[in-house]
Amino acid sequence: MAFIQVEELKKSYGSLEVLKNVNFTVEKGDVIAIIGSSGSGKSTLLRCLIELETINGGTVKIGDDYLIKDGQYPTPAELKRVTSKMGMVFQNFNLFPHKTVGENLILPTMLVKKTDKDTAMQNCRLLLKKVGLEDKIDVYPKYLSGGQQQRVAIARALMQNPEILLFDEPTSALDPQLTGEVLGVMRNLAAERMTMLVVTHEMSFARDVATKVLFMHGGEIVEAGTPEQIFNNPQNEKTKQFLAAAVR
Amino acid sequence: MDFTYIMQVTKALMEGFGATLWLFVLVLVLSIPIGFLMTLILRCKIAPLRWLVNVYVYVLRGTPLLLQLMVVYFGINLAFSDYFHIKRETAAALAFVLNYSAYFAEIFRGGLLAIDKGQYEACKVLGMSKLQTNIHVIIPQMFRVAMPSVTNEAITLVKDTALLYAVSVPEILHYAKATVVRDSDMTAFVVAGVIYLIMNTVFTLLFTKIEKKMAY
Repeated sequence: MAFIQVEELKKSYGSLEVLKNVNFTVEKGDVIAIIGSSGSGKSTLLRCLIELETINGGTVKIGDDYLIKDGQYPTPAELKRVTSKMGMVFQNFNLFPHKTVGENLILPTMLVKKTDKDTAMQNCRLLLKKVGLEDKIDVYPKYLSGGQQQRVAIARALMQNPEILLFDEPTSALDPQLTGEVLGVMRNLAAERMTMLVVTHEMSFARDVATKVLFMHGGEIVEAGTPEQIFNNPQNEKTKQFLAAAVR
Repeated sequence: MDFTYIMQVTKALMEGFGATLWLFVLVLVLSIPIGFLMTLILRCKIAPLRWLVNVYVYVLRGTPLLLQLMVVYFGINLAFSDYFHIKRETAAALAFVLNYSAYFAEIFRGGLLAIDKGQYEACKVLGMSKLQTNIHVIIPQMFRVAMPSVTNEAITLVKDTALLYAVSVPEILHYAKATVVRDSDMTAFVVAGVIYLIMNTVFTLLFTKIEKKMAY
């Protein structure tokens, strides 16, 4: 049985259907690249999974727990427990500007998981080292480059010890020369078999790192497959058009 | 214009300095927390409370402070003359606190609006509760954003204390006017202006220092 199961997921804003009938599965350790043009619903899909948007119908099962079952959400406490298995990295980093890098990492765990400060600091140093920023622990985010800020944001998400990491266009706000360092960190996570869902415009990342690629168009997944299938032998007309424009 | 006269006038005006400073400090200390409280009410779920604060801010921002001052002092004393009498100083402090808390409520509300929604989303995906989000992430940033406007209000407040003149609380302007009329010499007005300027210079430096301290 799949680790994440999404069945007939629906989402609409009023009469506008942004996600029509989304079905896919994710295995533990999968890196799912979600590609497609703007407005195809890829970010909305990710945001639905972590309860930043309300789902209007369908079933999402994560591990043995339902995030939503046949359009019915569980109790708020149960919902929080399910979403706490996931971490999210945003396009605009969303670090806390009034906190140092170290504080950005330890504050949420200390508040949410009631971790004591020493343990949190230990973990914080470990994760900053992992993203190559251990020397920035006392620095405020505004003194960091975009790439460094995004690496801090990844470390902050990892502090919560998530089973799944969601990335919403993690390199779209970065200068081209800074995307590499962020993608590098993500490659390392993939190598450690972290389950990741990545909405991205980085076709090379999707091709090289993803285990599975979902192509979205008009609120639906119109084609899904391995990177080889999608990039070398796309079947759907829309996929072909998109890739012809994206991979030049 | 000789120096001894200026010194003499300054000494006379400084008798009113106490009243000015007292009102300034009292109003600032009371209206900032009250204004902040009203901002919190504007975000609460109980609609009638929000309406109440909205009407309060609407009225107090939309009418002159001088009028409010007169209503509180003369108006209340007229209406309730059989029951009690409000002292001039009390009436003035009350009117100023009412007025300034309305302004501070608006300033803090603006500060909240300036905070990116990504901050709320980050807190949510990290599992933080709404209360934790507000206390640790939103409100500290709100104060930082609002600080320049708070400084601005404080400077306006120094100058507004001159309105005490209208209810005959003896402050700087009161003594300046008396001296000018007595001596038929406008030196006292100039001295009064200089005193206000010095006060505002000191407060500006002080608030800039606080702003710098809050910078991140």
